[in-house]
Amino acid sequence: MNRLKLAWRLLLRDWRAGELRILFAALVIAVGATSAIGFFTDRLQRAMGSQSAELLGADLILRSPRPVAETWLTHATTLGLRHSEALEFPSMVLRGDEMRLAGIKAVQDGYPLRGSLRISDTPWGVERAGDGIPPPGEAWAEARLLPLLGLEVGQALTLGDIELKVTRVVAFEPGGGGNFAALAPRLLVNRADIEHAGILGPGSRISRNYLFAGEIAALERYKRWLMPQLEPSHRLVDVREDRPTVGAALERAERYLGLASLAAVLLAGVAIAMGARRYSERHFDVSAMLRCLGASQDDILALYLPQLLLLGLIGSGVGVALGALVQAGLFQLLHELLPVRLPPPGLLPALLGLLTGLVVLAGFALPPILRLRQVPALRVLRRELTPLPLRAWLVYGAAIGAMTLLMGRYTGSATLTLSVLGGAAAALILLGVLAWLLLRASRALRHGAGVAWRYGLNNLWRRPWAASGQILAFGLTLMAMALIALLRNDLLATWQAQLPERAPNHFVVNVLPDEVARFESFLQDHAIDSAQLYPLVRGRLTAVNDTPVEQVLAPGDDGGGAVNRELNLTWSNTLQEDNAIVAGRWWTAQDAGQPLVSLEAKLAERLGARVGDRLLFTFGGGSELAVRVASLRTVKWDSFKPNFFVIFAPGVLDAQPATWMTSLYAAPEQRAAMAQMVREFPAVTVIDLERLMEQVRRIMEQVTLAVEYVLIFVLLAGFAVLYAALQSSLDERLYEGALLRTLGASRYQLRAGHLAEYALLGLLAGLFAAAGSELIAWQLYTRVFQLDYVFKWPLWLLLPPIGAALIGAAGYWGTRHVVRRSPLAVLRAL
Amino acid sequence: METIVSAEQVGKQVEVASGTLTILQEVSFAVAAGESLAIIGVSGSGKSTLLGLLAGLDLPSSGRITLAGEELNALDEDGRARLRGQKVGFVFQTFQLLPGLTALENVMLPLELAGNAAAMAQATALLERVGLAQRLDHYPKQLSGGEQQRVAIARAFAGSPALLFADEPTGNLDAATGGRIIDLLFELNAEQGTTLILVTHDDKLAGRCGRRLHLDGGRVVADESKNGVRK
Ligand SMILES: Nc1ncnc2c1ncn2[C@@H]1O[C@H](COP(=O)(O)OP(=O)(O)OP(=O)(O)O)[C@@H](O)[C@H]1O
Ligand SMILES: [Mg+2]
Repeated sequence: MNRLKLAWRLLLRDWRAGELRILFAALVIAVGATSAIGFFTDRLQRAMGSQSAELLGADLILRSPRPVAETWLTHATTLGLRHSEALEFPSMVLRGDEMRLAGIKAVQDGYPLRGSLRISDTPWGVERAGDGIPPPGEAWAEARLLPLLGLEVGQALTLGDIELKVTRVVAFEPGGGGNFAALAPRLLVNRADIEHAGILGPGSRISRNYLFAGEIAALERYKRWLMPQLEPSHRLVDVREDRPTVGAALERAERYLGLASLAAVLLAGVAIAMGARRYSERHFDVSAMLRCLGASQDDILALYLPQLLLLGLIGSGVGVALGALVQAGLFQLLHELLPVRLPPPGLLPALLGLLTGLVVLAGFALPPILRLRQVPALRVLRRELTPLPLRAWLVYGAAIGAMTLLMGRYTGSATLTLSVLGGAAAALILLGVLAWLLLRASRALRHGAGVAWRYGLNNLWRRPWAASGQILAFGLTLMAMALIALLRNDLLATWQAQLPERAPNHFVVNVLPDEVARFESFLQDHAIDSAQLYPLVRGRLTAVNDTPVEQVLAPGDDGGGAVNRELNLTWSNTLQEDNAIVAGRWWTAQDAGQPLVSLEAKLAERLGARVGDRLLFTFGGGSELAVRVASLRTVKWDSFKPNFFVIFAPGVLDAQPATWMTSLYAAPEQRAAMAQMVREFPAVTVIDLERLMEQVRRIMEQVTLAVEYVLIFVLLAGFAVLYAALQSSLDERLYEGALLRTLGASRYQLRAGHLAEYALLGLLAGLFAAAGSELIAWQLYTRVFQLDYVFKWPLWLLLPPIGAALIGAAGYWGTRHVVRRSPLAVLRAL
Repeated sequence: METIVSAEQVGKQVEVASGTLTILQEVSFAVAAGESLAIIGVSGSGKSTLLGLLAGLDLPSSGRITLAGEELNALDEDGRARLRGQKVGFVFQTFQLLPGLTALENVMLPLELAGNAAAMAQATALLERVGLAQRLDHYPKQLSGGEQQRVAIARAFAGSPALLFADEPTGNLDAATGGRIIDLLFELNAEQGTTLILVTHDDKLAGRCGRRLHLDGGRVVADESKNGVRK
């Protein structure tokens, strides 16, 4: 207890004397930056999630062919979730002699729980957000249903036994589009009418959708509760699973932001390590004195560890508070661009921030502090006695351990963590040596230079290892910044390039086989860009290696929507451009007619299927087909081109009835041509993707913005490193400066010397950073983002001068006291 | 008279680049409680090394040193630290005050380490005793060299040590200030019955000690007391 009090008092005294400033500042900036990023990305990710929920109409949907147990709904209510039920089933609708199959959706008050309907008063007319649902006796129809029935808004149609007046046109319906399994045009009706329509006889193909919305934590709890009770016929859908497109975009977004926050964490660690080293070195005398006054080695630890812990807690606390403030300001700044409905800041980033502070402190500050224990008492008589330098493995081990822990937490991805860490470790070893060599090589510069310049450079060469350390620290700062800039420009651009201006914005399905040639020439005549036409065969995957598919998957897992429902199967000679084979091989002309398929890699993983395994498919007429997996493919779901879970070798599916589909880009002025297409090919169904794409574009925009702001935090952390590195070199500079001035050096000479020294440091750090970022970027591009890597020569041109200017200026500014304070004051303070 | 420190055949060697360097050899003597001893000799003769050994800051390469009845070789580093805390005070040439602590806090430090509840009051009294009542809250760099040395003396006497070691306590001070520091040392020595062992180049200071140990090249060449040469 007494010891603790003493520790606290020593801490306060150190604080008053300004000894803790650097360590504290580094810690606050570190935790502030990381937790600001944490808060920001957490809220943004949740906001993006909720935006996607707006597409889905709910946070979570349970699909079931039968009514579910009443307790499933009451339990949701107990957890604070709202719910609403929507029935979906196909049914014929009539208007006079015309008769069409429509996809009926019967909804209750409250639908949609998230987002809103987009409606208009005329087909393809001006859209607005819809409020509420069709009142009883009315129906809202999708635009393409109207011409098919020769119907106009305000007229009535017949559904089963009842007449419904069509009062609105539905332009967009949450939870509707994007799934072109629902080919029939949509008719939205009131749930209350369905009871009287007499169309829900036993055996009708009905899908009951239970929509849920509420707090994320409650949703998670509900999901955990529900999962084990699900039957094979149940499907649990949330944003990611419902829409691979949006899910993939979100996943990428999270990776970008995670990566950006990594850079800040790494820099923070470096800053803290430098601050702690200086703190420790400045406490050697205290420690020796304490030992001399009778303190045991354990006493020393008992005095300093609580101080470190206290400092960690206070610093992290302040950092988290700062982070919360910064992110609040940030959202204020960005409120126009961000979604309106923002979740409040979560507790998790705050805890994570605290934890980050403590882990970083333990990883980077603990080893130097532990050194205090080893200070020999004899130091009071012989000043030059310092404790043994720490074992390298201890220092790097602790730091690397802490970083792995944090990175793992921040990225949630082992690949990413390992590739960044591996790159960093390789870079450190390689470049540590490089820094030293550069330093040696730069000695050639000394010839023909003035006194000041020589003095400055000498400062570096005299302590090659200290200077190498500084090059490393400054270099890491520049490297982190360069990487973030690369991310911002390159990766995002590459990503966005996948969604070019003229990305496909419509899917066209149900082109009949004998219409294919005519359809293709129609597209040509009207100059409409389209992808290749793919045949579409409906079938079910029923077994993997003779095991029924239900037993292969975990309960509640529907294989990403690919299992237990009709799949869109296709065949093709060629592999889509943006697909990539990850196992096995694509077929050649000789394989035509062989029972081979190519499987999407993630689905294969869920099915546990490998190249060579046997899959069994069942088709409409009851026929079965056994095939072998020839290859596994990755698919870019967010490319808006036709993509398939399963592709057959040509000739295998010839016996099955097929229709054809493609994606195309129709410019706004080509709308008329689209309308003509619908008239000329009455069987064809056109699905508008514009809204979905807009959604993905918005996510991209937000990510871009977020990455830009994260850059600011990285810069802050970078400045913390700069500050700490400067401070730790300052003590010596102060002393030397004072000495040199007593020996007659002019202020100008000293200043020029400092400038030369720091500018050279910056230059070397810039070179170092160029090499390091090249290495890490190469790893990231090729391993994590699967992008082609091109040599980033601008790094080598830009970083060295930027480094020289930045570090030179900072050093020049930082050392201004060396000449401002009188030499006497400096020498006395020592 | 009871012996408080004794050295028997003490030798000290260190490894240097060119081989083994012998700093001390065959040093033997004993100091009685309450005595005052000056260790003198030319620069490099091994005075500071001997002082460090006597105070248990380092261990001899050969021979035995006994401090307050305990054999130093038999204690580990922490045991020697405990012994220092209980029995020994130090004053150094460069004053070894902690720059981050005020004068008062510097003096309180050994008391706090020993868990003394009245640390503040005792430290204040000691600083008053050395004439620094007005400077309690000043940091070392705000004090002159003589004032700093007085703070160091107050701190050395804070734990009421049985033994006080001083390495050139007046080395950095002018004659007049040095004289006052010496007076202070001997006054406190008399008041508290502390044994004084100090290293000095200052003849005046050496002359005031009851006994002088003369080192040359690491050997004791003379051991004289005021009432005659012993060896
Ligand atoms: N650890 C060591 N390594 C190398 N040489 C040492 C070591 N300790 C002491 N010496 C040498 O031993 C000799 C005696 O040192 P010591 O400090 O005891 O001398 P001193 O008598 O106190 O001198 P001064 O009056 O100048 O303070 C010196 O030459 C010193 O350089
Ligand atoms: Mg000496």
